[in-house]
Amino acid sequence: MAKKWGGRIRNWMANKMDLPQDVMMDLPRITMIGQIHVYIENHRGLLAFTDKELRLLLKQGQLLIKGSSFVIKTILPEEILLEGKIDQVMYITDNPGGKK
Amino acid sequence: MKNQWIEFLYGRVTVKVSGKGIERFLNVLIRNGIHIWNVKRHGTETITFKMRLHDAKNIRFYARKSECSITFLRRSGIPFLFKRLLKNSGFLLGAGVFLLIILLLSNVIWGIEIKGAKPATEYKIRKELDKMGVKIGKVQFFVKNVEGIQRQLTNNIGDLTWIGVELNGTTYHLQAVEKNEPKKPENLSPQNLVAKKKATIVKMFIETGQPVVERNDHVEPGQILVSGVYGQEGNTELVAATGKVWGETWYKSNVKLPLITNFKVYNGKEKQKRSLLMGNWEIPIWGFGKPEFEKYETEKDVRKIHFLKWDLPISYVHKTIREREEFTREYTNEEAEKEALNLARKQIKSELDEDAIIKDEKILHKSTKNGKVILDIHFKIIENIAVGQPIFKETPE
Repeated sequence: MAKKWGGRIRNWMANKMDLPQDVMMDLPRITMIGQIHVYIENHRGLLAFTDKELRLLLKQGQLLIKGSSFVIKTILPEEILLEGKIDQVMYITDNPGGKK
Repeated sequence: MKNQWIEFLYGRVTVKVSGKGIERFLNVLIRNGIHIWNVKRHGTETITFKMRLHDAKNIRFYARKSECSITFLRRSGIPFLFKRLLKNSGFLLGAGVFLLIILLLSNVIWGIEIKGAKPATEYKIRKELDKMGVKIGKVQFFVKNVEGIQRQLTNNIGDLTWIGVELNGTTYHLQAVEKNEPKKPENLSPQNLVAKKKATIVKMFIETGQPVVERNDHVEPGQILVSGVYGQEGNTELVAATGKVWGETWYKSNVKLPLITNFKVYNGKEKQKRSLLMGNWEIPIWGFGKPEFEKYETEKDVRKIHFLKWDLPISYVHKTIREREEFTREYTNEEAEKEALNLARKQIKSELDEDAIIKDEKILHKSTKNGKVILDIHFKIIENIAVGQPIFKETPE
């Protein structure tokens, strides 16, 4: 329960103090440049990588990116820059039907 | 994105990873601070990416723990370029040797051109040049400089009035001017011999002409000694009077000679230094250390190094350091007197013809003042006093 309380406080603080959500809540920040680049900060590791699909672990759930001719331009412990033709960016949450 | 040039500088490798759990392996690498980029998937079980050369050593350690096998595909960057350069050092060496040979050949004497000299003189000049070491195929640094060559040629070849030596690239151009000694006129025009100074006739040696004066006669300058008018009265013939008339003449000379004189002389000890000069920076090649002379003088000979037709900013310097000694000469009064006399004799001789003889000398006055010996000397000289004076046809003779 304590963790949940902490989460609530953080959420409240982010709301009230006008802080960026990704800093406060450990959410990924995704920057896309058209269809060709995706820059994801705050990921938790690589799960799967092929030239058509990239699956990243997040703090909560996973992020699935689909497209074609993928190349990881840079990968750092918490950041990743993906290049290629991006078709879809999908969040996969543990609870079913949690697509966003 | 990080600056790719830094990676280029330190070297990078392309790694191929194959096996299962590649993603896990990548995560491990990333968490351990290994920087990777350009990750590409090739088929189901292979991936390639680039990484730093520096990290490549550590990757084996992580690979062992995973189920992947790794191979290195491409290496690029400065360290590998450098390695390849070393491997192909033959080419580099060749290029270096080529430049060196051109440099060397640019500084060799390739021609000696002599202009303005007769074949005989030219032969002499060439011989003299050979003696000096100025030959085709010699390196320019090891022969004398242009001024030296010029001096030696002028000194050693009597037929030359002047010689200009010029170094133009790899060729020495010599411009010679020969002495044109005037030929003695064989057919002299009619002339008398007259006295050129006041004298007493001592001896006469007449080839042609009619002597007018006799021995022990006192003559004044301009007085006719030997007449060119020859023959009996009314049947005269004009000839060129030749011959020598020796007369006793008198000279007075005044010499001063200090008793104590300081000289600066070289005592023959010398030291050679060779170096390369680049701008203001001198790199010694041969002859190190400071000269152990107390007093010395340095002679510097600087040669520009050529490359093809250009002068390089590098010069070859040859220094000769000669030890100098101070030398004090001290005369006693008698010695000084003797030396002064000698000096006076030399002075007189230099003023006279070569065949003149000093008959007698007398010291008229002798004094020592301010550390100097002052002598007045009277010389009796026997010399040829006859000079030709042409007889003009107009003059009624």
